[in-house]
Amino acid sequence: MEQMIKTIIEKLGGNGITFADVRITKTDIEEIYYQNGFLRAYNSAMDSWAIGIRVLINGCWGFAGSRDLSVDNIDKLIAKARSNAIHGSLFQKEAVVFPALKPTIASYHHKPKQNPFEMAKEEKLDFLGGLAIAIKPQNKIVHSYVGGEFMRQEKYYANTEGSYSHTSFYNTLPVMSVVAADENGIQSRTWPGHMSAGRAGFELFHSQEFAANTERIMKEATDLLTAPTIQEERSDIIIGNGHLALQLHESVGHATEADRIFGMEISYAGKTFIKPSMLGNFKYGSEVVNIYSDSTDPAGLGYHPLDDEGVPGRKIDIIKDGILVDQQTSRHIAHMLGLEPSSNMKASFADDFPLVRMTNFCLAPGKGSLADLIADTENGYLLDFTKTWSIDDNRNNFQFTTEIGYKIKDGRITGIVKEPTYFGITKDFWNACDRICGPEEWAYHSTFHCGKGEPGQVMQLSHGIAPARFKNINVSVKI
Amino acid sequence: MKQYLSHILATLSAHKELKYVISEKRWQTDFLRFYHSQTNYNISKESIAMDMTLYKGKKSYSFSIDDPNLEKLDVALAEAMGIIDKLPEDPDFVDIENDLTIATPRIKPNNIEKIPLETKTAILAEIAQAVDPHNFAIYGTFICNYEQRELINSNGLQKSWESSPIYLEVKAVHNESQITVLETFGGEDFGRFDKDVFISRLLTKIGYASNEVVDVEPGQYDVVLAPRCIAEFIQYLGYGMSARALDQHSSFFDGKLDQTVFPEYITIIDDPTDNDLITYDYNNEGHIYKPLTLVEKGVFKAFTCNNYYHHKTGLPKNGNSMSCMKLAPGDQILGHLLGKLKRGLYISSLHYMNFINPKETSLTGLTRDGTFLVEDGKITKVVNNLRFTEKIERILRNIVALENRSETVPFSENYSFFGIDAAKAPHVLVKDFNITSSTGTI
Repeated sequence: MEQMIKTIIEKLGGNGITFADVRITKTDIEEIYYQNGFLRAYNSAMDSWAIGIRVLINGCWGFAGSRDLSVDNIDKLIAKARSNAIHGSLFQKEAVVFPALKPTIASYHHKPKQNPFEMAKEEKLDFLGGLAIAIKPQNKIVHSYVGGEFMRQEKYYANTEGSYSHTSFYNTLPVMSVVAADENGIQSRTWPGHMSAGRAGFELFHSQEFAANTERIMKEATDLLTAPTIQEERSDIIIGNGHLALQLHESVGHATEADRIFGMEISYAGKTFIKPSMLGNFKYGSEVVNIYSDSTDPAGLGYHPLDDEGVPGRKIDIIKDGILVDQQTSRHIAHMLGLEPSSNMKASFADDFPLVRMTNFCLAPGKGSLADLIADTENGYLLDFTKTWSIDDNRNNFQFTTEIGYKIKDGRITGIVKEPTYFGITKDFWNACDRICGPEEWAYHSTFHCGKGEPGQVMQLSHGIAPARFKNINVSVKI
Repeated sequence: MKQYLSHILATLSAHKELKYVISEKRWQTDFLRFYHSQTNYNISKESIAMDMTLYKGKKSYSFSIDDPNLEKLDVALAEAMGIIDKLPEDPDFVDIENDLTIATPRIKPNNIEKIPLETKTAILAEIAQAVDPHNFAIYGTFICNYEQRELINSNGLQKSWESSPIYLEVKAVHNESQITVLETFGGEDFGRFDKDVFISRLLTKIGYASNEVVDVEPGQYDVVLAPRCIAEFIQYLGYGMSARALDQHSSFFDGKLDQTVFPEYITIIDDPTDNDLITYDYNNEGHIYKPLTLVEKGVFKAFTCNNYYHHKTGLPKNGNSMSCMKLAPGDQILGHLLGKLKRGLYISSLHYMNFINPKETSLTGLTRDGTFLVEDGKITKVVNNLRFTEKIERILRNIVALENRSETVPFSENYSFFGIDAAKAPHVLVKDFNITSSTGTI
């Protein structure tokens, strides 16, 4: 495959092409899902090869992607990518400026502890079937779901500057949820929340203690049916890792993707309230808020030695001591902003066009345990496990509902509330953060399902996070 | 498909105890994305995928193969037959689809060939030129897809169909204020696209966007919802109209069959025969897709129900997937709807909606791409985007009047699969729409 991709790069020399890159991916996916105690689906998609060829001609990008890697088809793809760039340049005012980079050669091959593709299918079924039986409908539990998605991807990248990388990884997405219902309505609980994926194999089900939490989610879903709602207008809230990852993702992660500044995502995902003039002076959060993008940490799904346009992995501060200092960029956009490219160009599969994407996007830890933080809170709520999320197309006004809230009184949890809902404006919210838990609470929470771009791509990425407290937040929305 | 099918069937002929469903999808897209009145990138993509599910009694195993060949098929089939005996049963599975009805043949053009890149860029250049004197630039997408599907199963079902949707989305954005307005075209017949009308409608909206920008306080407002908004609310409402949601205890319509749920002037139909929409002959399982009245004069009439949930719930089976939703028009002209507003809002489009509680149809979301204050029946000001927290069933109950004509509204589906759907709806006047916060940004 190395020879094939280098041969394609050779074919792409000249002909008005000022830069080109080629990616080839081979992806294996397996999904196993149980519903209400019974196996509902066992699906596999193995040996899915894809290729994408991107060319820059007349300062305009052209791209062609396919699942057919035959020599004849590759020649057609080269011609199509060239044609797309040439014709696209007929509707263009400003040419893409793409500063050169020195070539980088890289490789990375991840090995999980428990390779889901080498395990016997019966072993996976036995474990998941056991979980499914444990949470099957009983008493007020009327619906349950447990399963996993396993992915292995091998990627080859090469560009006309001489960069080349060959990588492979395993990612796993385990999920478990129950729904309780009675005359009071329906309530749901998941474990371990919506960002449950990890750079791991089947061992993730054990490290995330699925078996130990079946009783907990059934009890909490049932108890939520008769739980009160929040009555206060405003309250201090502590957000647990099962939800804070998404708060970070939506209100900082997407907001600092710099393609949005220039309107490149307006037609689908939207814009950002951030302007180039804010860099270096905008007080995004309080002094305790430090947020960074880190594609150099192999523990997260966002790790890469080289991104999808040849930029070596980087760790950069996005918010330093509360001040916005940098952006997630491509080479083109970094040039427009006068920044160094941040190594955030990624595509889901080789036949997808790379976009500015979060990699490992993290909130740096502060000090102390979650227990310390609760003990330090006189009145408030611990909100955890995302239920509903929504944010405006400038990444400014958000509203979240979590599955459960734990009432805190005089430093102790005294009960639960259902459908706790809070809303805020991004800058005000992060400036209301007064304390972040320490390294002992910090962990990666990861997703398979970050949607962006057209044609749509779902990216796998991670958020490093520790529980944090936000003061005097509006919790007045009644449903 | 034919070259592989005989090979697969020959393999399976020695295993009479197995049932099977085999589908092949050939998909292409030509995708032009533009920003600031220029090309961002041009993408061409193609894929061929074969999906197969084997059944043995109540056990099943599925696999997908991209760019299939005989070697890949043999490996996957051998693995499937090796594992299927070891799988646990799904007691709710009874049989695979057995609807053998064949739809009336329809010829659909390949719009990728019919609308080449030169045509797209020429149209976009003309639109960009029209908005430029107003200090606006255009952002958006111009997409053509082409898909061919073939489906066979061991119950004798053998069907094929194709589709070629077009989606042109143009957002005109003011170069300084960032005020945004939206115009779209969608469907399968590019002959219905009238460039001059498209530009004229966009310029009218730009005219509204030249007014002063204000914030409004949270509260309940009488609003006129554009067709795109009410169509999207109805698509979300459709979640609860499925037998699957009913089975999962999360349907608002649980226990409401044949009951009045909305005002008598609310009629909702899933209509795959309307050529203004992107039409389908069959659902994904091959059941014929025919018009289905979901709500008739305010009365809830039917759940959509596929083969699996038909057997599980006992509801009548249909091939409807709510991909062609229509809200029947009323008897008012748009000017009269606006004229009824002393101080209200005109909402053009919605953004990032999510259910809070699907059984109650409660959700939150935001306005985008043109929210306007209406005073004494006239659009007078631009309003910063607003957040609402509402129940869809309450919105429909609060519709007091509908426009006498409908518009086709295309939507792109960008998560699990890139597809394009369309719906059809009129403007509606809704009382007491619940605005819960302002964004402070356009």
